[in-house]
Amino acid sequence: MSVRTRDSLGGKAAIVGIGATEFSKDSGRSELKLAVEAVRAALDDAGLSAADVDGLVTFTMDTSPEITVAQAAGIGELSFFSRVHYGGGAACATVQQAALAVAAGVAEVVVCYRAFNERSGRRFGSGVQRREPSAEGAALGWSLPFGLLTPASWVAMAARRYLHTYGLTPDAFGHVAVTDRKYAATNPAAYFHGKPITLADHAASRWIVEPLRLLDCCQETDGGQAVVVTSVERARDLPHPPAVLTAAAQGAGRAQEQMTGFYRHDLTGLPEMSVVARQLWRTSGLAPSDVDVGILYDHFTPFVLMQLEEFGFCAPGEAAGFVAEERLPINTHGGQLGEAYLHGMNGVAEAVRQIRGTSVNQIPGAARTLVTAGTGVPTSGLILASDG
Amino acid sequence: MNSDGTAGEAADDADGEARALAYDALKAFEGRPAAQAGTGKDPVNEPMIRHWCEAMGDTHPAYTGADPIAPPTMMQAWTMGGLSGHEGRSDGYDELLTLLDGAGYTSVVATDCEQEYARALRPGDEITFDAVIESVSERKTTRLGTGHFVTTRMDIRAGGELAGTHRFRILKYAPARSKPKGKRPRPVINRDNAGFWEGVAAHRLLIQRCGGCGELRFPWLPGCNACGSPEWHTVEASGEGTVYSYVVMHHPPFPAFDPPYAVGLVELAEGVRIISNVIGVPYDKVRIGMPVRLDFQRMDEELELPLFRGLDGGAGVRADMGFTPSETAEAEAVSVAAEERAGEQLPVLEVPITRTLIVAGAIASRDYQDVHHDAELAKAKGSPDVFMNILTTNGLVGRYITDRFGPTAVLRKVAIRLGAPNYPGDTMTLSGRVETVATGPDGETSTVRVVGANGIGRHVTGTVTVTLPPGGAA
Repeated sequence: MSVRTRDSLGGKAAIVGIGATEFSKDSGRSELKLAVEAVRAALDDAGLSAADVDGLVTFTMDTSPEITVAQAAGIGELSFFSRVHYGGGAACATVQQAALAVAAGVAEVVVCYRAFNERSGRRFGSGVQRREPSAEGAALGWSLPFGLLTPASWVAMAARRYLHTYGLTPDAFGHVAVTDRKYAATNPAAYFHGKPITLADHAASRWIVEPLRLLDCCQETDGGQAVVVTSVERARDLPHPPAVLTAAAQGAGRAQEQMTGFYRHDLTGLPEMSVVARQLWRTSGLAPSDVDVGILYDHFTPFVLMQLEEFGFCAPGEAAGFVAEERLPINTHGGQLGEAYLHGMNGVAEAVRQIRGTSVNQIPGAARTLVTAGTGVPTSGLILASDG
Repeated sequence: MNSDGTAGEAADDADGEARALAYDALKAFEGRPAAQAGTGKDPVNEPMIRHWCEAMGDTHPAYTGADPIAPPTMMQAWTMGGLSGHEGRSDGYDELLTLLDGAGYTSVVATDCEQEYARALRPGDEITFDAVIESVSERKTTRLGTGHFVTTRMDIRAGGELAGTHRFRILKYAPARSKPKGKRPRPVINRDNAGFWEGVAAHRLLIQRCGGCGELRFPWLPGCNACGSPEWHTVEASGEGTVYSYVVMHHPPFPAFDPPYAVGLVELAEGVRIISNVIGVPYDKVRIGMPVRLDFQRMDEELELPLFRGLDGGAGVRADMGFTPSETAEAEAVSVAAEERAGEQLPVLEVPITRTLIVAGAIASRDYQDVHHDAELAKAKGSPDVFMNILTTNGLVGRYITDRFGPTAVLRKVAIRLGAPNYPGDTMTLSGRVETVATGPDGETSTVRVVGANGIGRHVTGTVTVTLPPGGAA
C-alpha cells in the first residue's frame, strides 16, 4: 500500500510534450475543439504524431470523451483510457494514471488533457443550487439550504478557522495573490500579463465571501491544456529534455468530502494533501529543501498556505510569512490567479517548463519541481525532475 | 417592501415608479404647522396605561398603584386619532401628504422617533399638542423604495405645561418593485438521510450514533467511519452549540438570499458539526465561539430548517459591538462608581415577536394602520406579513431600560431608528451598553446605546437617557 510504503512508479515515465490553446474569457469554439487543439499542440511539442498515441486520460468533469477527442484529433486505436474524479483534484492524477499505464506496458504514449469554456460557458463561481439525491449530491446537500453555495464559500469556512486559530487577519492571504500576479505580469500567456498588484490592492478588493476578497479568488478561463507522457527511455529520443516523474501520488483523507470537509479535524489544514505529501517525500526520498520550484494549486489563496504547511515547507500558521519572504519560488507562470484557471493542468505544464529551462520566469538551475492539484477535494501531486 | 427592507437612507437613485417633485415645492412646507391646538381624545387614564403595560409586558411599579404615572414612551399614544381619525391636524401636513400621494409616494413607514420627557403624565391630565413640519428631505432611494423623509416636531402639553417633545420621522415612498423572491435551495434528501429531515419536521435535530462503537456522526451515512458498523440509531441533539467557523456571503447573489448574510458551521454540544444560519445576530456580528441555540424556522410551504440563534449577543459580540463611546460634557462629574458602570453591557432581553404582540402594541398605541394588524392588506402593500409599529418598539425599548435599571428608574429621553422590520415568528434580542454615566442633582444619569436584533438584521438602534434618583439603587 502506497499510503504506507514507497512505491515503484518513480523514474519510469516522463512528460515529453506540453500544449495549450490561448487562455481567454470567450474562446468562441467548442470545448471539444479546445481539447483537440491542446492535444495536437502537445503532440507537436513532443515531436510525436497522433499515430503514436494509444492512451488518453482526462477528468470526469471534462465534457469531451476520450473517444471523441481521439476521433477528432486523428488518433486511432486506444488501449488505455481513464478519467479521474473530484474536479481539479484530478490534475496531477491524470499524469499518474498515464505513468502507471506506461510503466505497466498497457500503453506507450498517453495524452492527458483538460479543456473547457469555464468563463463563457458553465462558470463554477456561479455556484450550485440543486443536486440529484445521489450520495455525492447528498453530501453537498447539507450546505445548500443555508446559502453556502459557491466554491469560494466552501473554502472561506476553513479559511476563517485558519485565521482564527493562528491569530491572523485576511491580509495574510494577500502575499499569495501578490506573488502570483508578479509572475503573471511577465508571462505573455497570462491573462493578467502586465498587471501586477500590491498588498494594498488586495486589501482594497471587495469581499466575495468573507474572509475571501476578490483577489483571493482565481479567475475563470476558457481554454485547453494537454501533456504527453511516455517512458523515460523513449523520452530520451524526443526533442525536449524529459521531465521525469520522480514521484506521483493521489490522496484522500479520513472522512474526506469534496469541498465540504467541515465535519472533520480542525479545518486548519488539508489532510488529503498530507496523504499526497507523505507519499511524494517517501517515494522520491526528497525533502522540502530539495524542491526548486513549487507549483501549488491556487483556486483560492488560503489553501496555498495550507499546502506549504502540509508539505513541511514551514510550520503550521507560518506560511504567509514564508510566502512573503519568497523562500520558495511558487507559481512562476502566475498561477490560476494570474495565468489561467485550467483546473491545475497549466501548472503541470509550468513545472515541465521549469525542468526544461524554458519558463518565462525561469528559476536558474531548477532541477526539481513540485506540482499539486485541486485542494479541498481528494487530490494529487507530482515531483518532476530533470533526467539523470 | 422586501423582507429585510431597511429604511436607511441611500444615495438618490430614482427608480421612476413615482413622479419626481420639485424640491422647492416640498421644501416650502418646512416650518408650516403639522398640527395646531390638537387635543387628546381622552385624558391620561389608567385603563389605557394598563393596556399599554400589558401589551409591552412592562411591570415597572411606577405605572401602577395609588399614584401611577403613564409610561413616558406612551406619550405619542395620547395624541393619536385612533380609528376615528385625526383632529387638529393642520392643512399644511395634509397638503404635503396629498402632494406626495398624488406623485406616487403612497406608502408610509415610520423610521425615527425621538422623545424627550419634561414631566410625567398622570391620570386626569388633559393633553394638548402642536406640531411643526421640521424638514422634508430630497428624494432618497432606500431598500423599501424611493421617497421623501418628513420630520415633524411635536410639543405635548398637559394642563398647558410642557410635558415633552416628540420628533417623528416618516418615509413617504413608492414601494420598490418587489422581485419575486426565489425559494431557498432544497435539501438533498435520499434514503440515507431522510430520517434527519423527518426529525426536522418534528422539530428534533437527530444525530446518528453508531450501534457498534457508539461514535456520534454527522452528516448522515449508512455506516460508521470509525468502525464500519452498519448499525445505528439516533440521538436528539440538545440544541446547544457554538459557532465553530462562519463566512459572510457577498457575491454572487442568489434569488433566495439577500447578501451580505452569514453562514455558520455550528459545533453542537454533542461534538458533531452542522452547517446552518446564525440568526438573531447581524451578519457582521457573528463570531467564532459565539454560543447558539437551535431554532426551527419555516422558510416556505415546503421547507423548514434547523437554524441557530445567537445567545445573549454572544461573547464575541460584547467585545466588539462597534459602538464608539460618546464624548461627555459632564466628564468631571463622573463618580468613581459611575466610571465603573460606563461600558457596562446590560443583560439582553429576548422578545418573541408574536402576531398578538404586534396587534396588541398597535392597538395600545391607538395605531390602526392596516399593516400592523391585517396580514392580507399588508401583503397587498408589498410586505410579507404584518409588522410591528414604531410606537411598540419605542415602548419595548423603554421597558428594557427600566427593567434593567430597576423600579426607581426615570426615562428622560428615548431616540430610536428602525431598520429590519419585526415580523411575526421572529425574536428580537435587545442588548444595551452604558455609554456615559454622570452624577448630578437629580441623581445618576446614564446614556445607554440600545440595539434590537432580529432574524433579518437590526430592527432598532437607539439611545436612551435614564436617571436613577439619589438613593435609588439599581
